[in-house]
Amino acid sequence: MAEKKVEIRISGKTIQAQAGETLIHAIWSAGMPESIKTGCAGGVCGACTVTLRYSDGRKGGTELACMKPVEAGMEVFPCPVDAEAPVEPVMEPDVRSLQAAFPTLNRCTKCGSCSTACPMSIPVMDSVLRMQKGEFSEVAEDFTTCIHCGLCRFVCEDKVKPHNMGLWVRRSLGMSRDLSIPHGENENTEKEWQYLMHTDRELRLQNARQFRQTGKVES
Amino acid sequence: MMQWAQELLKKVEATRSVRLEQPAPVLDSVQEGALLKQYHPDYLGHERKLAVGPNAGEEKFPLELAELLEGDSSLEPDTTPKVDIETDVLILGGGGAGATAALTLAESGLSVHLATKLRLGDSNTVMAEGGIQSALAENDSARRHFADALVGGHGENDPELLRILCEQGPESIRWLSQLGCLFEQNEDGRFRLRAGGGTSVPRVLACRDYTGLEIMRVLKDAVRLTSTHILEEHVAVELLDDGAGQVTGAILFDRIAGKRICVSARAVILATGGSGQIRLQGFPTSNHVGATGDGLVLAYRQGCRLIHLDSYQYHPSGACYPEALAGQLVTEAIRSIGAQVVNAEGVHFINEMAYRDVLAGAIIKEIAEGRGVKTPHGKTGVWLDTPMIDLKNGAGTLARQFPGLIHRFERYAIDPTKTPILIYPTLHYQNGGIRVDTQCRTDRVGLWACGEVTGGLHGKNRLMGNSLLDITVFGRRAAESVLGNLPERGASTLTNLERFRSEREKVEGLAQTRSPQFFPEASGMKLESCAVEEAPKEEAASQSFEPPNPFNF
Ligand SMILES: Cc1cc2nc3c(=O)[nH]c(=O)nc-3n(C[C@H](O)[C@H](O)[C@H](O)COP(=O)(O)OP(=O)(O)OC[C@H]3O[C@@H](n4cnc5c(N)ncnc54)[C@H](O)[C@@H]3O)c2cc1C
Ligand code: SF4
Ligand code: SF4
Ligand code: FES
Repeated sequence: MAEKKVEIRISGKTIQAQAGETLIHAIWSAGMPESIKTGCAGGVCGACTVTLRYSDGRKGGTELACMKPVEAGMEVFPCPVDAEAPVEPVMEPDVRSLQAAFPTLNRCTKCGSCSTACPMSIPVMDSVLRMQKGEFSEVAEDFTTCIHCGLCRFVCEDKVKPHNMGLWVRRSLGMSRDLSIPHGENENTEKEWQYLMHTDRELRLQNARQFRQTGKVES
Repeated sequence: MMQWAQELLKKVEATRSVRLEQPAPVLDSVQEGALLKQYHPDYLGHERKLAVGPNAGEEKFPLELAELLEGDSSLEPDTTPKVDIETDVLILGGGGAGATAALTLAESGLSVHLATKLRLGDSNTVMAEGGIQSALAENDSARRHFADALVGGHGENDPELLRILCEQGPESIRWLSQLGCLFEQNEDGRFRLRAGGGTSVPRVLACRDYTGLEIMRVLKDAVRLTSTHILEEHVAVELLDDGAGQVTGAILFDRIAGKRICVSARAVILATGGSGQIRLQGFPTSNHVGATGDGLVLAYRQGCRLIHLDSYQYHPSGACYPEALAGQLVTEAIRSIGAQVVNAEGVHFINEMAYRDVLAGAIIKEIAEGRGVKTPHGKTGVWLDTPMIDLKNGAGTLARQFPGLIHRFERYAIDPTKTPILIYPTLHYQNGGIRVDTQCRTDRVGLWACGEVTGGLHGKNRLMGNSLLDITVFGRRAAESVLGNLPERGASTLTNLERFRSEREKVEGLAQTRSPQFFPEASGMKLESCAVEEAPKEEAASQSFEPPNPFNF
């Protein structure tokens, strides 16, 4: 298949890109790597945030440059979002403690920009409303896939910090979990280690092969 | 979508009902050995011995890595370090291992600096999908975990390190949970455990297919709440020593200010991770942009021995289509719940829960023998039949458990619940690395190492879920060992580097490579000349453009 070229603009500079490649690869190939931040190049670190405009009047928006394929006529503006200082999570969180940690919680005007901005399709605004109602397990679920790119905070004119609150809720719930973690010892523990840690490499491997079948030393 | 493959897809669909019932071939250890020798990239002879440094003349290294290890530093020969920052502990690398070490040191009263090449958390850790191992099931034990990992590592694992890993599993899960990591639980409140390749009982905890993201965002948040000084976009370019062998700090390059700084430390913890981005044999990689093996090069120049670096992990399921996703990981957990590997003829040619190296070899063999699927971009792969998951486990399972996979492919109008995806092995994990003892000490006093940068623990093949555990167990252990063995502050010299350089001069015909590599070749990113006291660069062009608010158009 012949590779088609498409023309896009990065921070006002026109470059040629290969159809099908991502914005990051196009920016790299154009020799402008320092114009954008990259971390994972796999859509999970949130470093490569950009805003987009289309010359044909289609609605622009926010994106991850490492995930977004180039399209002819795209105008790209790198838009790095700085991290925000975190707030210490608490045990047994509730609306009051969330509000204390994030005083802008109730400033949300339900404009919906955060949900539109989210490259992970998280229903951010709905989740902010759930936070106000204290529906924290749903909130935790909503933010499962949040990569903390910060775009929802960046676009919020009312200084609500949805993803920071999302993580605070998740961490607070996590810390409050009652865990039962077995210690895994039994009367054969030492004997089993002796068998498995055999000083002869071949016998060690052979013993391990046997042990993994049943979890016991078979004599 | 995937119009070009319509005919081929029919062959996959046609055999599904048969494949649901029939088991796929399982190889015995003799067959596995033969397969690896013939087809696994580690065994194809793309390797040679080193001519300089502590491993010179001994075991072989992959060609690309050998060149970097023998390379020269980017520092000018007359560089004299002038200390800018004095700290107690300098951690190099802001992935999972580095962040864990920083957290462990948080209450110690020591001053801690953490320098990392990109931003905090931009790492291989954040990309981990499948999960973390820990022996928590009733019929499981640390011993069984050990046995699985040892067999998986072909018996080459350092047994002492491996025992520590397995014994510390449950405690590490507790530690992560208390920081607020939400690993999935069953209705009864116990952790949900999945099988992984080579686990004899289910042992893998996960947070969907975003387990590394969950761990990394929690660690990042927690570290930012400590007094750790975080130096983002600070690249370690060389280690310092006291003139008598002890490591005493590092020279960093601050990418934002465009200048070098020199840090004197009583202890240095290397946690710079792996090296997938050096793209051995031109393979695609699943690794983050910073994974260029820098830590190996820095430690090697100090005189630290490296082990098992002839062994890399090629993950069998790297995406191979669409082109934009090439090399990106498709987690093994997907295979553990029923996605089968299938060739162009629709044949389920091997049991997909075989060890990773065996499966990678088997895929390369299918393709070599003409049973692969060619993409319009000239790549070849085999099918990973993802629709089988819902057939086996009920509709909705795939979307519920693997939202990340769906999210990535849907941009390209591919729905993995309906269409299989094409895979080809991708360069994934550096099995070997810097040799360490059970306290994470390297061969040099003052230098500790933990995480993917180290070698020995995983032998010659790592099991899924053991490296997220590795960074937790050994990140903490390195920090604890530093606390117990903190040396006095030493002078800041480049004596070890000079020694390495004079050794280089005695060898003829060395390539003129500068190393570490720091960034992937494809990116074109460079460390600015690295001159001392260099004037700050002009702001990048992008800065002169105010990014428009997308909602005000
Ligand atoms: C796509 C993918 C999926 C994975 N899935 C799993 C899984 O499911 N389960 C599992 O157990 N493991 C998995 N792994 C492996 C695991 O994630 C890594 O091995 C582990 O997280 C490595 O942690 P680390 O802290 O040692 O290195 P990293 O997390 O890579 O961190 C190293 C850090 O050091 C920085 N650095 C590098 N060079 C320098 C320098 N010169 N100066 C300063 N800083 C530097 C890097 O930028 C990075 O921030 C996966 C890996 C990948 C890539
Ligand atoms: S952008 Fe801000 S104000 Fe608008 S919905 Fe989101 S949180 Fe509320
Ligand atoms: S919720 Fe906010 S920070 Fe999280 S991924 Fe969406 S936009 Fe980014
Ligand atoms: S570089 Fe990590 S999300 Fe794009």
